[in-house]
Amino acid sequence: MLKLSNVTKSFGGLIAINNVSFEISKGETVGLIGPNGAGKTTLIHLITGVYKPDLGSIKFNGKELTKMPPHRICREGIARTYQIPQPFPDMTALNNVVVAVLNRKNRKNMSLADAELEASYFLEFVGLFRKRNTLARDLSLYELRMLELARALATEPKLLLIDETMAGLNPVESLRAVDMIKMAKEHFDLTILWVEHVMKIIMSAAERIIVLHYGKKIAEGPPEHISKDEKVIEAYLGEKYA
Amino acid sequence: MVSLEFKRDRLIFRHGTSKYEWIIEPRYWRNPIIATLILSCIPALMYGYPNVLTMLTFANIYAAVAIMMGLQTIGTARVNFGPQLYVGLGGYVASIFNLYFGLSPALTFILTILVSVAVALAISPIVLIARGLYFALITLLLPLIFLQITFIYAHIFGGEFGLSGMSPLIDLGRASWNYVTYCYLSLILMLIYLLIADKIMRSRFGISMAAINDNETAAEVLGVPVRNYKLFSYIFPSVCMAIVGWFIAHTFRTFSGVTYLSFFFLIKLLLIIIIGGRATLYGAVAGAYFIAVVEEFLRAFGPIHYVIFPILLIALVYMLPEGVWGIYHKRHYRDYYPKLRVRR
Repeated sequence: MLKLSNVTKSFGGLIAINNVSFEISKGETVGLIGPNGAGKTTLIHLITGVYKPDLGSIKFNGKELTKMPPHRICREGIARTYQIPQPFPDMTALNNVVVAVLNRKNRKNMSLADAELEASYFLEFVGLFRKRNTLARDLSLYELRMLELARALATEPKLLLIDETMAGLNPVESLRAVDMIKMAKEHFDLTILWVEHVMKIIMSAAERIIVLHYGKKIAEGPPEHISKDEKVIEAYLGEKYA
Repeated sequence: MVSLEFKRDRLIFRHGTSKYEWIIEPRYWRNPIIATLILSCIPALMYGYPNVLTMLTFANIYAAVAIMMGLQTIGTARVNFGPQLYVGLGGYVASIFNLYFGLSPALTFILTILVSVAVALAISPIVLIARGLYFALITLLLPLIFLQITFIYAHIFGGEFGLSGMSPLIDLGRASWNYVTYCYLSLILMLIYLLIADKIMRSRFGISMAAINDNETAAEVLGVPVRNYKLFSYIFPSVCMAIVGWFIAHTFRTFSGVTYLSFFFLIKLLLIIIIGGRATLYGAVAGAYFIAVVEEFLRAFGPIHYVIFPILLIALVYMLPEGVWGIYHKRHYRDYYPKLRVRR
């Protein structure tokens, strides 16, 4: 479904992503982990087209993404959430989702009222229907994350990129968020690439894990192998523990 | 079948199968029809006071430019500090083609649109390239450069005195009738702009424009074709502003860059927008009328408004940052209310 081959991206002298290749097939939940500054978020920016790679190709269902602008990539069926929520702060929660509904593929003649109706379905799915008329800047962090999820789902994605949903949530909220993501995956038939820092969650949720370290892919495999991999332990804890 | 019924809190008017309701409680009286009726009554009542009629005409012209500036601000997510460029451009194109080539106002109207579309298209890449401070600087300098050009080529543009003697839009033969006609024409122009801008902002395109204004990158990742929206919302309002310039040239029959291209005209526009409440469309009308009245009032004290207006601008930015519309918005927070931000 998504295929990255030899993707390289550098910012000035810093090589943020160095020759990374991997593949994601339909229906998978793939975890992407790595220490701080490993290039996880850069990789997501590359897939969604915010940054363009210096070298290599990113293919989604056989189509080359590196030449497309971000909104075309979104219409191909790739949606993302942000680590730091990026809502439209002066719009209500409902309108935030309406933007996503109206701009997706094959919605040339949808009226605003129809879009609001459909947006309220996605808001209800993530449990924010009660807050539909609240301005996005007045929502709490958990609600913002759910709003981002609703917005991403409203673009009808095939592949969902999740960027550290758990950052800043308390344990109860993060459990609810994980349940929500699992439910969304079943309900909307999604493929998920999940960047996460909380090992406990990602190890139980993902079927396959990719580990990045200083922009390089150092390991890939099922969670139980990754947690015993020497290179990964070295990257996280230092040589002494490896 | 026509019937009028008074029921608890509302008047109900029935005609055939259609039904119109009018809620009597004053807090629901924010119907634009009332404001339109009041605005269209004033010029007729002021017949015989040419000063007042000129003031009202200017108020409508300011409002028309400010409305389009608001639309441009929301759609491009950038504050254009040089909307006068297009007013000047439209005015000069209309004047030059009318005076030197003898074209009628209808033909100069078409030429104004063509030239301003060409210029706006040529300048529009700055919307994609420049952000924040750089965009403000570029747009601030463009009209001043144009003003210098009018000084350098004074034999074409008329220099400091500008051009005069253009053919009028309508001439009824009596000056007092003409004043009223022009006041109404400017009002119609302003109301058309208000209607267009309002329709755009309330449509499905308006909500995407609002999304761009709030967060450009997030909007693009959600599938909004940001580039097209920004180009449209730069070019369309620019052309509308140029039409205002055409209107000025053919109603006052004199046009000089010193009046419309200078920094002071910009200060007036900024004041209108700040008083009205940033990029709000209806607020711009209130702000424009306020500024026109204040300008007329200060005229008796000589050129003191050159000092007072900038001071007023600074004071308002500090004391009433959301304008008069902000007070309304506190109660009606669900209406989309864009904010001007100067981004890095």
